[in-house]
Amino acid sequence: MRIGIVGVGAMGSTHAAAWAELGVPIAGFVATTPEHAQPLAERYGASVYPDLASLLSACDVVDICTPTHLHRPMVVQAARAGKDIICEKPLARTLDEGRDMIRTCREAGVRLLVGHVVRFFPEYVRAREAVKAGQVGQVAVVRLQRDVFRPRKAQDNWFLDVEKSGGMILDLMIHDFDYARWVAGEVETVFCQHIGDPSISPGDHALAILRHRHGAITHVEGSWAYPPPTFRTRFEIAGADGLLIHDTATTAPLAVFRHQAAGDEAGEVPVPASPLLESPYTTQLKAFYRHLMYGDPIPVTAADALAALQIALAAITSTQTGAPVSLTPLPEVEA
Amino acid sequence: MKIGILSFAHIHAESYAWHLGRMPGVEFLGIADDDPVRGEDAARRYGTRFFPTYADLLAAGPDAVVVCAENTRHRPLVEMAAQAGAHVLCEKPLATTLADGQAMLEACEKAGVILMTAFPMRFSAPILEVKALLDRGQLGKILAANTTNQGQLPRRYRAWFVDPALAGGGAVFDHTVHLADLLRWFLHSEVVAVYAQTNRIMHGDTVEVETGGLLLLTFADGAFASIDCSWSRPANYPSWGGLTMELIGQKGVVHVDAFRQNLTLYSNRDEHPSWLSWQSDPDRAMLEEFVAAITARRTPRVTGYDGYKAMEVALAAYRSAATGTVVQLPLE
Repeated sequence: MRIGIVGVGAMGSTHAAAWAELGVPIAGFVATTPEHAQPLAERYGASVYPDLASLLSACDVVDICTPTHLHRPMVVQAARAGKDIICEKPLARTLDEGRDMIRTCREAGVRLLVGHVVRFFPEYVRAREAVKAGQVGQVAVVRLQRDVFRPRKAQDNWFLDVEKSGGMILDLMIHDFDYARWVAGEVETVFCQHIGDPSISPGDHALAILRHRHGAITHVEGSWAYPPPTFRTRFEIAGADGLLIHDTATTAPLAVFRHQAAGDEAGEVPVPASPLLESPYTTQLKAFYRHLMYGDPIPVTAADALAALQIALAAITSTQTGAPVSLTPLPEVEA
Repeated sequence: MKIGILSFAHIHAESYAWHLGRMPGVEFLGIADDDPVRGEDAARRYGTRFFPTYADLLAAGPDAVVVCAENTRHRPLVEMAAQAGAHVLCEKPLATTLADGQAMLEACEKAGVILMTAFPMRFSAPILEVKALLDRGQLGKILAANTTNQGQLPRRYRAWFVDPALAGGGAVFDHTVHLADLLRWFLHSEVVAVYAQTNRIMHGDTVEVETGGLLLLTFADGAFASIDCSWSRPANYPSWGGLTMELIGQKGVVHVDAFRQNLTLYSNRDEHPSWLSWQSDPDRAMLEEFVAAITARRTPRVTGYDGYKAMEVALAAYRSAATGTVVQLPLE
């Protein structure tokens, strides 16, 4: 299996490192500015292709790590070329785009795998296993929280362009909307409040309340309003028989105290890091690889990605209307 | 100054009785309770006099009383005290209906006595530290807040806490008012809209009231804040629960965990670890403020109106949870 990577930003380079670690040959990279792909190409002994079409002719599976608004055209092009596809989250910028991508991939007979990487983070996986094993009983109140700094890419900071990224709610909170669904089931209603005006706030910040079909309720906080290098995640799952708590603030195994200030060593885009022998991104791509090669099961489907997209878009609508939004069940998800 | 306690229904009466017996300048007049077994027992334990009726205690000429009746029974005791000319410190929530709350405010106003709501968190040292930080402008304007006041099922302390006829509701009434009050105090702004979702999955087979609750409040100044009021702490949690606030400001963020100051005890004698608190006792400071306001004939730092506005948020949350809509304040 030869992989072709589209996009060489934070996710493109993270995925490239993971593929290399897994020993999967990287055929090449495509980037808007080809020179930006050169360092990665040299590092992994790959080529730089001028466009997606030429990359598709050189790879078996395409890994799309581009800004959100480009997912649909690229996935459709790859599907029509008969390639299996890995696509970064969020699946798409709009629900129609997402549905179109799923339909096109189904019609083309190719697989579409979406990088909802939180489903591969061991603390989140372990918590869900405990929930599924009944260790907290029926899930009642879930709290999910993801606090980071505003992405500060030096060039083309598309994260801050709502038309391209959907903003913090679609780019960041979607992780926890997906996880909420994974542990507490389908979501019926969403209410969300948000502050995003850069003249008022140091970064987007939002709070949402979800109601799940089976009665559980979930509180979600997403934030770009923290100073760098913050990357804090926290969750609580309270059920009829118990309570699970996770907080990166209390599970950091290292504390380093330097006499000279280390300065801000965080990258342009917040990426979580707790010492692990295998990065969750590698775990994710390994699962995708084994699924594509051997048909092994994977914990996240394109329909899951569509459902998470629907929740995030409903949250955005709620911030605009000031009212709760009821979700219409998606046939792709209910099937 | 002579101070009595009207009813020992609320668990907090234990702490107030302990302090009233030790405060300089305070004569702990006694305890009146409609449950004579409970009242006599408490009077014996705190070395004070038991009055079989509330009228008896009020006839003994208290300067002030602390009302610790069940939530739905505050009003008649507050009205009686006001008529007797006694200043009132009333346990939270101030009341469980707008009509009761308004009647209590009016009765005390008319009688010219102080009505203070027992919001001890206003006197919590970590909370006061945050208040000072905010008032010095260290975080700039507060834009949003994520707050929790979660606890164990309180039935283990008093059975009536889960009886809707006496408590007025469940987790929402029990745990919303503290945070609604702190947020109003921090933001210098009133709540204008409330959205809430509740459920009864935890302890669903044993209680009739809601045990899970999430609220999202909108303030007049545009800020928004969530409150998790759930009774989501299992019986073997290391403490009764806690209160936390995470405030997002224009200049930065502050997190406060008001009950963080504790030791962790792992003992072969206990079934689970427990937290031994070493925090400054906010109840003592709250009672001292009540006494100081009476002495100086001034408005206390926490008023009956503050209690009313916090109760209004809880009532709006019940309406929102019942209708699935955003409820505008003030309530009619």
